[in-house]
Amino acid sequence: MTDTETRAPRVVAAPEPPRRRRRRLGGGGPRAGTIAAFLTPFFLPFVLFYLVPVGYALWQSFRVVRRTGGQYGTSYTTFGGFHQYAQVLQNSEFWSSIGRIGLFGVVQVPVMLFVALVMALLLDTPLLKIKAFFRISAFLPYAVPGVIAAIMWSYLYSPQLSPVVDLLGHLGLHPDFLGPGAVLWSAANVSTWLWTGYNMLIMYSALQAIPQELYEAAKLDGASNWAIAWRIKVPIIAPSIVLTTVFSIIGTLQLYAEPAVLRQISSNISSTFTPNMLAYTVASGNNYQQAAAISVVIALITFVLSFGFMRLTSKRAGL
Amino acid sequence: MRNTASRVRLAAAVTAVASIAVLAGCSSSGHSDGTSAAASCAPAKGKVTLQYWNTVPGMDKVVALWNQQNPNIQVQMKNISNDQYGTISNALKAGTAPDLAQVGYDELPNLRTQNAFVDASACDAATAAKSKFVPWTWSQTSFGGTGVFAFPQDTGPMALYVRSDIFAKYHLPVPKTWDEYAADAQKMHAADKNLTMTFFDPNNAEWFNGLLWQNSAKMYAYSNDKWQVSVDSAQSKQVADYWQKLIDAKTVRTDLANGSTQMYAAYQKDQIASYVGAAWGYSMFRDNLPSQAGKWSIVPMPTWGTNAASGDWGGSTVAFMKGSTHLYESVKFNSWLNTDPQALALENKLGGLYPAATAGLQLPSLSQGVPYYNNEKIFDVFAESSRNIDTSFAWGPTQKTVNLSLQDAMAKAAAGNGTLTGALSTSQATALKSMKDLAIPAEAGK
Repeated sequence: MTDTETRAPRVVAAPEPPRRRRRRLGGGGPRAGTIAAFLTPFFLPFVLFYLVPVGYALWQSFRVVRRTGGQYGTSYTTFGGFHQYAQVLQNSEFWSSIGRIGLFGVVQVPVMLFVALVMALLLDTPLLKIKAFFRISAFLPYAVPGVIAAIMWSYLYSPQLSPVVDLLGHLGLHPDFLGPGAVLWSAANVSTWLWTGYNMLIMYSALQAIPQELYEAAKLDGASNWAIAWRIKVPIIAPSIVLTTVFSIIGTLQLYAEPAVLRQISSNISSTFTPNMLAYTVASGNNYQQAAAISVVIALITFVLSFGFMRLTSKRAGL
Repeated sequence: MRNTASRVRLAAAVTAVASIAVLAGCSSSGHSDGTSAAASCAPAKGKVTLQYWNTVPGMDKVVALWNQQNPNIQVQMKNISNDQYGTISNALKAGTAPDLAQVGYDELPNLRTQNAFVDASACDAATAAKSKFVPWTWSQTSFGGTGVFAFPQDTGPMALYVRSDIFAKYHLPVPKTWDEYAADAQKMHAADKNLTMTFFDPNNAEWFNGLLWQNSAKMYAYSNDKWQVSVDSAQSKQVADYWQKLIDAKTVRTDLANGSTQMYAAYQKDQIASYVGAAWGYSMFRDNLPSQAGKWSIVPMPTWGTNAASGDWGGSTVAFMKGSTHLYESVKFNSWLNTDPQALALENKLGGLYPAATAGLQLPSLSQGVPYYNNEKIFDVFAESSRNIDTSFAWGPTQKTVNLSLQDAMAKAAAGNGTLTGALSTSQATALKSMKDLAIPAEAGK
């Protein structure tokens, strides 16, 4: 809550950052030990569970399996250059999964973020009462683990068990949520349900940081609530929207839990439905080198898309 | 801004976790050492502790019984049902594999290409066990040769579960051939649009393989120093064509997954008249559909022509794992575990295992009538089925990959995109490609 008190002065005192910069890292003395003590808890797991595995995957992706002798033989791996990458790029299943995820992302991400933004703006208006209730209930789905959410939704989609399907049946509607055309959107719906509240909260907290003076000034100039929302609030929280978009792009490319759970009840989700499912399938067939190459390619695509998006938007919005 | 930084870090952490998930099973390079020939069968001096990994419910009680009777050969077991083959593969790579592990028949060739097993044929007790098991099971654990890489544990001989009351309602005798089965399916569906003969689960290659097995399909052989791959043989295509016709006629449905809540719901609503299942499935209906007691019967699988051939769906072996330093003791325990009547009875009672040992087929619990099934001696049907299973059927070294590919293609076919026969061609291509990727010499069988 100290944030609220210091909010106003911070805006006025613009040249604050340089003062911070004067504190240098390192420099020996007792400071170094303190810094090391604070950083180790982060860097040790970071190296062990991030850099090392990523490096290992990279190394694996440049290797190929060879075998000596007979029907079963003995396998070993050797350097294979870009062989695995060539295999991945020639794999039609890979491109189908990327295409599927692309379609998913192009539709699901804007829909979800738009809903999240509208909800955040509504929460931020003085018109809405019992804010805490709405804030919590919108955020609650995020507290449900993805797998559990997918299982829950799979019961709602299932024609044998779902009260929703039953109800629609009484109205003469017979939707097949798990059909070949619909199942991607059924998965998208689960993701949207899970993540909208989370994204809303990020945007909402950005809205909370906007100084009230701006609104007062806008009101004096005769701006309506509508104008304040779209002309002042949205541009100011643009960085948060960019951030949630980047998270959503990453999340979409790594989609796994929702379709993997729905696969239990729908044969219309193949074992190569998303890029991550493909990587898992290939790895479960002992082709770890190719699975590593798939993972690296997914990571590269994620990197290009998310940083590309950030650059694009930062130029536009002058962030 | 602090908020943002922590979110970015969170994203990084999430990414890291995802990478680890993919990497967790990554192989190490270098030559795997040790060939199976070097195994020796000397008993250890003093007390020995064996590691045994499995997925069987209640197996801890069976192991406890052994431990109580054999103070000098103690067995520690671990349940690996969460990720059976992932756990085994990882342990192999880390050099921490147990002495004995449960491996499905269809995964044996795959694990053997990973040098997972030790040949226990150095032990006389191991080679002598051959006569104690149903013939097809031994031919798979010995890979059709003289080695002993695992002992068979349980099997899933297939049979036809029928709702006698539904068949009686439509005055249909129980079908003996697949042709009769298809004709009955037609009649039932014509009489009641909501009624189908059975369901075809496209995501269940293991089940479909059992049907191919019944029709004497030979998917894999080895000659000319190469694996001969014929997943799309004429026998397989005959089976695929048959089911494609049933699917096209909508006399079987394709929207249910085997064992799912949805499947039981459909049976509960009397929408399905039969089930092509395995021996271990008898308890599924008994436990999930108690209200249908007395309505079910179990009869031999419909046949192609007049030959009483059958297929197997599922079942496992207990494999001798590479790195075990106590082969003699491992053979001793494994032999007891899978041939001793007391052990078999416990495994059947607690884990629902249908034994691979011939002695097991005569267990008291498998010789009596089962109340749920009108007190019929259903296990006589399965024992007969077991005897009629083709002993020359063999699995491929990339079976899991081929199964997944078959499932994906069968699902497309069930959704109206392609045919089941086309799915077999897709799997044939996948089999060749996946073996090439792992440098396993293979060619299309002639």
